[in-house]
Amino acid sequence: MDYTKMLVMACATVIEEMTPILPEGIHHKVLDFGLHVTPEKLRTTLQNEIDSVNDNIETILLGYGLCSQAVIGVTARKATLVVPRVDDCIAIFLGSRDAYTVQNNKAPGTYYLTKGWIEVGDTPFTEYNLMVERLGKARADRALKLLLKNYTRLALINTGQYDIERYREYVRRTADRFGLRYEEIEGSNTLVKKMLEGDWDEEFVVVKPGETICYSHFFPPDE
Amino acid sequence: MSEELVKAISEMDDEAAINLTKELLGKGTDPMEILGDCRSAMEIVGKRFEQGEYFISELILAGETLSAISELVKPLVKAAASTKKNGKIVIGTVKGDIHDIAKDIVSFMLDVNGFEVKDLGVDVAPETFVETIKSFDPEIVALSGFLTLAHTSMKETVEAIKAAGLRDKVKIMIGGGTIDAQVCDYAKADGWGTDAMTAISLAKQWTGAN
Repeated sequence: MDYTKMLVMACATVIEEMTPILPEGIHHKVLDFGLHVTPEKLRTTLQNEIDSVNDNIETILLGYGLCSQAVIGVTARKATLVVPRVDDCIAIFLGSRDAYTVQNNKAPGTYYLTKGWIEVGDTPFTEYNLMVERLGKARADRALKLLLKNYTRLALINTGQYDIERYREYVRRTADRFGLRYEEIEGSNTLVKKMLEGDWDEEFVVVKPGETICYSHFFPPDE
Repeated sequence: MSEELVKAISEMDDEAAINLTKELLGKGTDPMEILGDCRSAMEIVGKRFEQGEYFISELILAGETLSAISELVKPLVKAAASTKKNGKIVIGTVKGDIHDIAKDIVSFMLDVNGFEVKDLGVDVAPETFVETIKSFDPEIVALSGFLTLAHTSMKETVEAIKAAGLRDKVKIMIGGGTIDAQVCDYAKADGWGTDAMTAISLAKQWTGAN
């Protein structure tokens, strides 16, 4: 595979899982993590970035999932687009859409964390400080308590891609502080690896140049 | 209408909102008028949230104030039969999803718009919806979900209702931040929305209520 004609365009949280195994010569572009909060903004940013990609790039690997439908409608004029057929980055960290479903059925009230999420620091736990500024401590405390009322578990996903020790302590402490059960769950780089190696089977949405990523690529209608 | 109450709720001054409610009730204000103020306040909060002026935390706090006010007011709303004439709705966040901030607001807004609402909470299994349709006999089923994972659960819930032979008895609406017409097609629901006002207008349209 000619990696010089390939570009990885990924969210700041997902790139953390890719960096250790990025093939030599491949180009990469990291986009702001905060964009996921506003899917329309993420979609526009992705489209603009794709539009400005150099013409010699033949394939763009998107380090995203469906992400609240943000990738729907995105198209590349001259490159093939590849995106994991998953709901969001949690499935990427866990290694597959199925693994995500298993975890979600086990405890739907799970807040997942990885190195990427902790490093970019945009979780209800870090958001708390901003809430205090805006609403005062008493109200911020109440809002956070209500925000987390259906959550039972704070899970650190260990993808094996980096030294996890320094994050364990942080996640444990956060779980304690907010009354959640700490758990470390095994992640996997299977999906990321397959994407980078060109093994784009049914776990990926692949659209040709000029085609658009559609909702039905992620949720196929009944036959 | 009490502009002061609307302002207190929409600006998250819960203490003032509760005190004002007590004061208004003490003066003999019609409880329905107070619920009407709550409705107006939530419309303001919803708008500010849409415009990015408010965040989730503001939405939650306003929602909490609403619950507190309705606790005070509801026992005084007499003759449920005459005020709940618009129809029955069962609502819940579908299996695998535990988000309920918006669902709670929709539930409240349907309630104050004259519907009898049975709220099944979060992570509600398709069979629970089916059982509730049998026992509660609603005209409308409202499925809520925030994650795109919920799209599959919504579809499965609609299928379970169909399999139980109840599909023709109810209209089904789906709602949530990631819901659109395509999801509605996929889940085979009858209508969809991303805010409480749409839920109310759909419910009114389907039941012929004003």
